[in-house]
Amino acid sequence: MAATLCFTFLPKQAGWLPLRQCVRYGSKAVTRHRKPVHFLKQKLLAITEYIPPKPEECFRVSRTRETKQDSRMTAFIKREVQATFQQSKMIVVVQNNATTTEDMLQLRHRLHKHDVSVKFFPNQVMRDFLSDSMHKNMKPLFIGSTVLFVSKEPKLKEVLQILKSFPQLVLVGACVDDTLMSRQGIVSYSKLPPLATVQGQVLGGLSLLSSQTSSMLHRHPAHLSALLQQYLKQQVIDGPSQETGPEAQDSVA
Amino acid sequence: MIPLLKSAVCGLSSRAVGCGGVLQNYATMLTSGLKTYSPLPDYSGVVIPERTKLKFMDKVPTLKKVRREMKRLKDIVGPEQRENGFTSGQYGIVAMGGGYLHWGHMEMMRLTINRRIDPRITYALWRINAPYKPITSKGLGKRMGGGKGAVDHYVTPVRCGRLLVELGGHCELGEVKGLLTEVAKKLPFPAKVVSRESLAEMQQAAAARELNNQNPWTFSRIATANMLGIRKVLSPVDLRHHGRYTGKFHLPERV
Repeated sequence: MAATLCFTFLPKQAGWLPLRQCVRYGSKAVTRHRKPVHFLKQKLLAITEYIPPKPEECFRVSRTRETKQDSRMTAFIKREVQATFQQSKMIVVVQNNATTTEDMLQLRHRLHKHDVSVKFFPNQVMRDFLSDSMHKNMKPLFIGSTVLFVSKEPKLKEVLQILKSFPQLVLVGACVDDTLMSRQGIVSYSKLPPLATVQGQVLGGLSLLSSQTSSMLHRHPAHLSALLQQYLKQQVIDGPSQETGPEAQDSVA
Repeated sequence: MIPLLKSAVCGLSSRAVGCGGVLQNYATMLTSGLKTYSPLPDYSGVVIPERTKLKFMDKVPTLKKVRREMKRLKDIVGPEQRENGFTSGQYGIVAMGGGYLHWGHMEMMRLTINRRIDPRITYALWRINAPYKPITSKGLGKRMGGGKGAVDHYVTPVRCGRLLVELGGHCELGEVKGLLTEVAKKLPFPAKVVSRESLAEMQQAAAARELNNQNPWTFSRIATANMLGIRKVLSPVDLRHHGRYTGKFHLPERV
């Protein structure tokens, strides 16, 4: 590949082919190895490298939640949850920490005697359901592994008694007759007397005022009559001593 | 006797049912979820030819007269302009560099593919010719001179972008990918396993890259205008291929 001179006519648009091209001799153009690149060509390749487009400035995009369609399983579980909430008057949320199967079995058996059923639902589905329903404020109860005790009649006393023998089950909260209750609330609710007693107490308190009115009106005359009676009694006692007293005075005078 | 037994059995069963409500799922407390299956692929339009296996390639072409030819290394250089698309298959091997395929390579491809495909549901076809280019060799230990050597063997030249083998039938890419990568690794140039979609994607990506390049200075712009007399160190081949090919190699980073 000695240096050669070529005199050829070239159109100006295609660019000028230099009339003399000095090429060092050595290997052919097509080699099995990568040929050493001329320094100027290296520079050219470095200048003409690909520059990707810059990503747009990330501005704060408002967090619009994409409405993800529920899978069929999730929809099914949600329906179950809804049915449970509708049918049951009492829903107790309990946190279970590593309960063994036989313990769970015992618990179920004992609760079954009082018609309380034990339900398990995934927390995510539960939270999704609660955010749409009226029991929104129950959401913070469902953290960690939770169990639900549901029943048609409120039987908190029995539930509390049973839970005493299961120290790993922690009572978190309850919803009885659409009222949320914390742990202390549940305890005080269970200590309440039965309904009839409470009703009687309320009635007694209401009728107290009206029953006192007549006694209040009669207080003055009663007081007066009591005083007069006392005076009479004293007169009777002092009578003989008083008679002698004034008589003696008369005789002296 | 029998009524007693019956009543006993009934009692047992009722008791079992009664307890079942409590015993039911004490072990499995939470279900894992429903698996949704995607629909099966539709192979209704796929026609499987009669001869599904790769044909045997001759080592030497049948010629009356054996002629020695010049090297013509340009048959390796640059991109393949014609045989770079799919014809009837779905998956294939595409060359990512230039080179010569000889009979040994073709045997390897033929045997591996024929052994591994199920001929009833998959078919393979060649996209390259049998070796036709004669390569001469002077023999070991001979001195320079004394004319051109004798024809030693024949090869098939392959340019970058050429399809070598196509596969099709009632199969998915995942099934044939392993087999084709095995074959592709043994070829004398870098090769890739592609499907129709992935090849189109590659070509589109390359075109998009060229369009969205933010660098105002491109190889072709500088070379065609011969800026700074750079054509002193470039060849006309570089201009034609815009600096993306050097010799038989393809430079995928160049745009």
